[in-house]
Amino acid sequence: MKQSGYGFLLLLALMLPPVSNLLESIMITHMHMQMPMLVFAGFLMAKFFQKRFPQFFEKWNENGLPGILLFTIIMVYWSLPRTMDEALTMTSVEAFKFFSLPFLAGVPLRDSWRKLSSSWKHALIIFFTVLFLGMGWLYIWSPVQLCNNYLVIEQITLGWGFITTAFAMVVYLVYSYFMDFSKYE
Amino acid sequence: MFPKNRTALSSLLVLLFGVILFYIGTDGFQVFTAETARVNQLMDEKPQFPDVTLEDNKGRKYSFSEFEGKYVFITFLYTSCGTVCPELEVNMSEVYNRIPKEYIGKDIQFLSISFDPERDDPETLDTYRKAFGSDGETWRMARITDQQELQSLLDRFGVIVIPDEYGNFAHNSAFYLVNPEGRLIEVMDYTLIEDAADQVTKILQSGGDER
Repeated sequence: MKQSGYGFLLLLALMLPPVSNLLESIMITHMHMQMPMLVFAGFLMAKFFQKRFPQFFEKWNENGLPGILLFTIIMVYWSLPRTMDEALTMTSVEAFKFFSLPFLAGVPLRDSWRKLSSSWKHALIIFFTVLFLGMGWLYIWSPVQLCNNYLVIEQITLGWGFITTAFAMVVYLVYSYFMDFSKYE
Repeated sequence: MFPKNRTALSSLLVLLFGVILFYIGTDGFQVFTAETARVNQLMDEKPQFPDVTLEDNKGRKYSFSEFEGKYVFITFLYTSCGTVCPELEVNMSEVYNRIPKEYIGKDIQFLSISFDPERDDPETLDTYRKAFGSDGETWRMARITDQQELQSLLDRFGVIVIPDEYGNFAHNSAFYLVNPEGRLIEVMDYTLIEDAADQVTKILQSGGDER
């Protein structure tokens, strides 16, 4: 239960105006630090919800697919240039970010991940690899400035952040294809 | 109730939620960037050009009402800009050249507004305009010296200007068309010269029916 507390503290810390302003002042830390940390906060808090409502997760997320679908939808949603921009200018969008990323992405991710078969896990990683390559391509080679609140140079930095993350996932995929992980368990 | 295939049902609900979320978040799968949303909103609101004092390339000072009764074709720039602004102004001159001559100066005024009043004094603007074939009369370049007035205009027309650490500005660019009553009626893509010229000509030809 301790970790749920830490998750909650992390969420509160991220919500503090100085912290959120700092992370949101740079595009890449907004998308590749603040957002993943919000998901992670939810990931930690998931234990609390799983203990509190075991029936709910058992029944409605039995094979993990609904949860991972929800996770994917929320992640793709926050990859849109517009949502990231509007989180800075509209309070309601900002509030939805602080709610959706922990509770609609972090919590279902944790509940679903161990229920998924390894082929689903790989499919998900492949999906996000392709998505990140696409986003990287979009942000680096887009002729226009996609976000009004950030400089073009930050947009390009973010693009390379996406490509780097995609590269890391490719490394993992290749490695997991050739190595037998079950020997470690 | 004894539901079966529960995970399929919850997947379906999640999917439905996703569709609704994206539908709302992108104004019906139309608007994926805040810039498009901004332009759409401007077209709906048709904001009034605020009463600001302009100082043009000849050092003349007047308020925007100087152009009352004419359409005004506007761009926003700063002269130290090495990237978008020259392109924007070249494109603006292309539009200028495509508008039938009889309208120029009489029914339509071209105006480039600098959002860097500190560096863009009348002399600088006068040198800059020559590079783009502006005559300084039917196409003027001007600055708004009062910082508050400048900001009110930028806010109202949705021009976002972010200074960076090297004395440059990041900013969004477009062609703006203000009608004879001083209301913004069109925001056009500055890269589509032909389209913008056609659209403006059409509005001019309809002879103010749209007023």
